[in-house]
Amino acid sequence: MAHSLSAPRKRAVGPRFRIDLMPYLFILPAVIIYVVFNLGPVLASFFLSFFRWDLLTPTTEFTGLKHYNFILNDDRFWNALSHNFIFLGLAVVIPVSMGLFLAVFIYEIRRGRVFFRAALFLPAIFSGVVIAYVWKWIYHPFAGVLNPTLELIGLGAFTQSWLGNPKIALYSTFIAYTWASFGYSMVIFLAGLQDISTDIFDAARVDGANFRQKLFHITIPCLYDVFTFVITLRIFTAMGVFGVIYILTGGGPFYASDVIDIYVFRMIGNFEMGWATAAATVNTVVVVFISTGFIKWREWRSWSS
Amino acid sequence: MAGMALMEFLNRSAQRRLQGAPFYFLLILATVITLVPIIWVFASALKSNKEIRESPLALPGEWRFQNYIDAWFGASFDAYFFNSIFITVTSVGLVLILSSLAAYSFAKMRFRGNQLLFFIFLFGMAFPLSAKLGPLLSLMYELNLANSRFGLILVYVAGSLPFAILMLRAFFQGFPQELEDSAALDGCSRFQFYLRILLPLSKPSLMALGIFVFMGTWNEFFQALLLINEDAKRTLPLGLTAFQDEYFTDFALSFAGINITAVPVIIVYIMFQRNLIEGITVGSLK
Repeated sequence: MAHSLSAPRKRAVGPRFRIDLMPYLFILPAVIIYVVFNLGPVLASFFLSFFRWDLLTPTTEFTGLKHYNFILNDDRFWNALSHNFIFLGLAVVIPVSMGLFLAVFIYEIRRGRVFFRAALFLPAIFSGVVIAYVWKWIYHPFAGVLNPTLELIGLGAFTQSWLGNPKIALYSTFIAYTWASFGYSMVIFLAGLQDISTDIFDAARVDGANFRQKLFHITIPCLYDVFTFVITLRIFTAMGVFGVIYILTGGGPFYASDVIDIYVFRMIGNFEMGWATAAATVNTVVVVFISTGFIKWREWRSWSS
Repeated sequence: MAGMALMEFLNRSAQRRLQGAPFYFLLILATVITLVPIIWVFASALKSNKEIRESPLALPGEWRFQNYIDAWFGASFDAYFFNSIFITVTSVGLVLILSSLAAYSFAKMRFRGNQLLFFIFLFGMAFPLSAKLGPLLSLMYELNLANSRFGLILVYVAGSLPFAILMLRAFFQGFPQELEDSAALDGCSRFQFYLRILLPLSKPSLMALGIFVFMGTWNEFFQALLLINEDAKRTLPLGLTAFQDEYFTDFALSFAGINITAVPVIIVYIMFQRNLIEGITVGSLK
């Protein structure tokens, strides 16, 4: 009797202890593709940087820090990384402040908001390849438009070989990068502005605050978290810039505009996989360190004030 | 009295309009500077080589649409277009299906390892692209997926999944639990709930995400450059580099080639501008 009574109860309790497979089945296809074609290669890049590579195939021969020793003593590596840092320093200031001001201007007007937002964002929709070719022709020594324009407005003294001069090639590529990236900062700032309660701006207007006071005492403090996001985005794109420079200068002339991703790409092309993975790992450490350090610093600052 | 009020009103609206004027001036200036390069490229594509060389700033004397036809037949643009459309559409479709399934599970189901698995996906967003390229290339050769459109699709899907899951998870978490409970009471399985209720209700978010992934995939260059080395399998950005390398002395054709690559993106942008900007900003403000 007791046996037959307990049996159905056990069955009723049973399913609670069985593992529910549905949640895992929903995730499984995404996990497989993500791990095989994204996370796996990232982790492999780290581990395999300690092994000898035979063309494309890693061997079991452990080489320790040999690849790192080469990379960290390679002037070209530091040269490329320093250019990423120049890009980073400029990128967190120029496209970000352009985006902020344009967003504020659009926010201040009544009619035509959608038009200006759409028109100013336009360059940001293109592939780095299209952006690079547009600027390659702007800078072109014979067919280009920049030098003739400078002559036309009386700045003929500034005409030069924009991509051929090693002193300015990197900055010429930065202009193309800026043209295509301030739009991102702008639309994100604008969305952030529209999230701020209009009561604050109304109150400021009643108190007779001028444009500058509103900007520094309301807009910028209210956009604190948006700033953190926009600048983090710039950190990633500046440290990972590739297409625009690859096409405009190929990293030249004489490595004057070389950056890490072009350096890694060149190593892979030469089947120097050990050096490529070691360089990529160092770069990853630098990027993760800068981005998480920056985010933590922003969190700490907002918490402590 | 009424006159006074009217005067006051007019005065104030004129003042307000005047207050906006500097902003309009600066915005128009910025828009002109931003769009001039694009307009110049479009104008140059209609000129002759002689015109481009001798008067790069002038508008075309006569509109030579022939440049576009010559450019189109100067390279395998039909193949590049087909490849880009095929790869992008398939990738977007796969990303939407896989990420919505996973995000539903992460947002609405309780199971061991939920947090950990989600964190593993987030982890992938912290790395620069170059961090995976070496092993990715040898993996693709190993699996016979190098120089293959299908292989490139898998790489693009894997690259887009972390952001897609992050965005949809946040969106699905906003759905009220009662919706799922009442569906379950009506005998609706979790998969049916996903298919019949969750997806239809999420259309705007899926649109925004889809357009965002579409743009990123359509424009991608670095990985395509690494993995594709056969002309017939090139996507548009890759094809444009090949075209420019071949015709760099033919200025007019080069400009036309840029435009052939740019126009589809502009059309998609004009059609889905709001969805795209929503895809960018929604992800950023959560």
